[in-house]
Amino acid sequence: MLLSVRDLRMYYKTKMGYVKAVDGISFDLDQGESLGIVGESGCGKTSISMTILRLLPDNAEFKGGSVLFDMGNGPVDLVNLPESEMRKYRWRGISMIFQAAMNSLNPVYKVGDQIIEAIQNHFPDMPLDKARQKVAELFTLVGLDPSRMDQYPHQYSGGMKQRAVIAMALACDPKIIIADEPTTALDVIVQDRILKEIRKIQRKLNMAMIYISHDIAVIAEVSDKIAVMYAGKFVELADAVTIFKQPMHPYTYGLMHAFPSTVGEKTELVTIPGEPPNLLNPPKGCRFAPRCPKADSVCSEVEPEYRELEKNHFVACHHPVQPKEVVRFYAE
Amino acid sequence: MTEMVVAEPLWKIRLKLWIRSLRTGWELFKEKKLALFGLGVIIFFAIFGLLYPLYPVVMKNLFWKHDSFGYQTFMPYDPIVGFDPDIMSHPSPPSLRHPLGTDPLGRDILAMIMYSTPREFVLGITAALITVIIGTIIGASAAYYGGVIDTFFMRLADIVMLFPSLALLMVLSAFMELTLFRLALIMGILAGFGSITLVLKAQALTVKVRPFIDAAKSTGASDAYIIFKHIIPNILPLSFLYMMFNVTGAIFTEAVLSFLGLANIRMSWGVIIQMAESSGYLMGASIGMYWWLWLPAGVCITLLCSSFYFLGRGLEEIVNPRLRKR
Amino acid sequence: MLKFLGKRVLQIVVLLFIYVTVVYWLIEAMPGSFVDQYLLNPKLTPEIRENLKRQFGFDKPAHIRYLIYMKNFLTLDLGISFSYFPTRVTTIIAERLPRTVFLFVTSTLVSYVLGYNLGKRAAWKRSGLLDKTTTFVGIVFWTIFLPLLAIFNIWLFGVILKILPLNQFIDPNLWKSAPLSAQTIFIRLLLTALVFLIVFLIALLISNRLKTIPAKKTVLYTSSITTIVVSIVIWILSGYSTYAWDIIKHMVLPVLTLTLYSFAGSMLVMRDTMLDVIREDYITTAKAKGLPDNVVRDKHAARNALLPLVTNFVISLGFTVGGGIITETMFSWPGIGRAYLEALNTQDTPLLIGLLVFTGIFVLIAHLVADVLYAVLDPRIRY
Repeated sequence: MLLSVRDLRMYYKTKMGYVKAVDGISFDLDQGESLGIVGESGCGKTSISMTILRLLPDNAEFKGGSVLFDMGNGPVDLVNLPESEMRKYRWRGISMIFQAAMNSLNPVYKVGDQIIEAIQNHFPDMPLDKARQKVAELFTLVGLDPSRMDQYPHQYSGGMKQRAVIAMALACDPKIIIADEPTTALDVIVQDRILKEIRKIQRKLNMAMIYISHDIAVIAEVSDKIAVMYAGKFVELADAVTIFKQPMHPYTYGLMHAFPSTVGEKTELVTIPGEPPNLLNPPKGCRFAPRCPKADSVCSEVEPEYRELEKNHFVACHHPVQPKEVVRFYAE
Repeated sequence: MTEMVVAEPLWKIRLKLWIRSLRTGWELFKEKKLALFGLGVIIFFAIFGLLYPLYPVVMKNLFWKHDSFGYQTFMPYDPIVGFDPDIMSHPSPPSLRHPLGTDPLGRDILAMIMYSTPREFVLGITAALITVIIGTIIGASAAYYGGVIDTFFMRLADIVMLFPSLALLMVLSAFMELTLFRLALIMGILAGFGSITLVLKAQALTVKVRPFIDAAKSTGASDAYIIFKHIIPNILPLSFLYMMFNVTGAIFTEAVLSFLGLANIRMSWGVIIQMAESSGYLMGASIGMYWWLWLPAGVCITLLCSSFYFLGRGLEEIVNPRLRKR
Repeated sequence: MLKFLGKRVLQIVVLLFIYVTVVYWLIEAMPGSFVDQYLLNPKLTPEIRENLKRQFGFDKPAHIRYLIYMKNFLTLDLGISFSYFPTRVTTIIAERLPRTVFLFVTSTLVSYVLGYNLGKRAAWKRSGLLDKTTTFVGIVFWTIFLPLLAIFNIWLFGVILKILPLNQFIDPNLWKSAPLSAQTIFIRLLLTALVFLIVFLIALLISNRLKTIPAKKTVLYTSSITTIVVSIVIWILSGYSTYAWDIIKHMVLPVLTLTLYSFAGSMLVMRDTMLDVIREDYITTAKAKGLPDNVVRDKHAARNALLPLVTNFVISLGFTVGGGIITETMFSWPGIGRAYLEALNTQDTPLLIGLLVFTGIFVLIAHLVADVLYAVLDPRIRY
């Protein structure tokens, strides 16, 4: 297994108490596989990626769990690695395409140089001309003109910056790329084209990917497996088809029906009433219970176990949605 | 049309909102230890200055009970014409009768410092207030009108910034008697047309593009109404903050001018040090021997200046979101 | 770039003319000029009085005198000083300018280097020990009553530790038999410093092209140390080293005082901008690339925070000029600032105008330098 996350917990310490942003997350990722993590904003999905790469602010605290990462020489637990060792795994092992690609490029350095910086950081022996050649290849791969590598970020358009950021993420041939809302700031047409290209490159290079987005349509397009996150926890994880065809968690069900589908039969659009809980003191029992139409007294008392209900289909729910069942969400 | 039901008059609601924002501001402010320290020192000096009238009374009852004749004649605790006839040579080092010693003319240093304290406050706050009023109005109008008015005031600010303000005040001291109030007025006006307009204009520009300005315009509000009712209240926190920094600047400049003997102020902290300088006690190796002539007054200037600065920085961290902690 | 520079120079020339005009009329309006005092001297016969008036140009109305002054100003003739009659104002300024420029440039450079380094470290570990102490100490020095700092420094280094001379520019006893004037030695010292600065800048440029950090350091350190050693050897061989050393010893305290007084300005700006920059996404990206902490801090964060620091340089100029006047007065340092105070006391109007005009030119040149620096540092600006 390439990446194996087990019961990962990371809280932010604030004056009011702990914000439980990542609260017992487990998943596996294999070579060439792509996992999509979907959830509302503020549910902690960005914190997962930051926790895996350990790019956390000072007030973040690990509260347990492990991130086992295997670069080919046996699994290493990234959580307990000293900082100097951890640096070797960043970008070389796991790289990232950040949420705001527009701002991920330093405005005062040439784009090419910023990529070369990453390469030379991990391969100090690579001569400059070879590094430049590598950047040129990467630019071609992502559909950028290699002559643009000596330009500054402000000379790029939004879509070009996005491509440059993807090229940068590929620079050290990482095993895994985490793409956090990789296309949110772009218009829909560019968004679609770039997603397709990422997918193509991923297949070509046989890399593993983790996509993070609030937009289930984006996730559906690029992921083999989809995890649905709610209030710091995974509520459901299965392969993409199953999640769409037969969601078992009421929250997933709600999400599926909250976006209009352009293919297949017309279904009623539903919205989930209420607000996601405050991660400072999330509700006891099931965190989705206050908004769940199927919730009963057990749900608000006992926290549901995250278990494999069917093969490779993990759900955390006391009353999973049955096939053909229709769940109705009512506004209060 | 439905009638709006307002249970409370508008001013009451405003007052409540104001008190609430004040309270949250205080919660944030409490954590800024340096700003608290600054506020503490400022309050200390305010009380210290206000206690001045009591000082001679206390000293008289302690040391001059049996020599009220000498006390009446020489007024040993008068900051300007005082003299202590019982001490052979002035300046005299700190003693029980004169906790901070006397100056070369035989005046009590502590009395001089206490007497000057309220004057420093008046000077600093007057100058800063004038600066901020001018800067706020110009900054808001320049941002609101733009065009010629904007260009004019910005170029004016360029020229004002070109003049080293201390050098200019030194020239002005040759024109006129720089009394406390005149000095405050001139410093206030000079600084008001300077760099503060740039800062406040930048802030006003961010207010100008907010929707409520357009909303006010569409209801037919006059330009002056929009500037005073909508733009200025929104840049006031920043103005207030710059006021703190300007208090520092004004007190400092007054002290320097007095020290150089260029201001016509009878008594101030700067004058105390000038007295020591002009009578030659700051020359050469004797500098450390007569420390009470310059050290207490110098420390007072520094303390008060830095306190206002600390306070200003603390407020800045509250007002300016980019300095807040995540 | 050239077009921008041309435009900026033009702006500056216009600004300078407005400034000179304002200064001229301001001083002209000053009541009771030197000449009046001079002319009221009862010993002077009316003829001599008229003669003197004509010589100083006071027989003509004020606006004509202004035009004449502006005409002369264009040929860089600022008239004749009253108090140093018949020395030209330009001669006095030429003698004193190097001293002030030296004091000013050295303390500004040192305080910016100090402010940059402290500010970036303070912000990187916000609320850490360094942040707290530097902020506190910095603000205290920034708002300290400058004469107090000067007195304290003289007292500490001159009286208590006895390692540095008290004040003044040179030690008169030593120079009685000196073969060269202090000014000549001082200019030579300045030239040495200039050579060192140029070597350092070239080394910096070269080391920027180099790839590895040890190579960069080697180039920088060897070239700097070699230049220092070579110049010291040349000075010793020339036989003037005792005199040069005397000047240097007298320079330490003023420079130290002005530096202490002004470093917090750049430090606080640097800290505040760094706090802002640290939140940017490209900083997270740089960390994610696996770059070492200090590379992220220096190469990515501090480099971007440098831009407002340049702007601050222009804004704080007036402040430093004021500080310069006080420092020169306190240390009897015969530069522009002290000449200014002397001219004011003797009501030497031509010298006063000349000094103010020169300060203006100096500040405007600094503006231009800052503009160019900004354009070099920020690739987004292409005029």
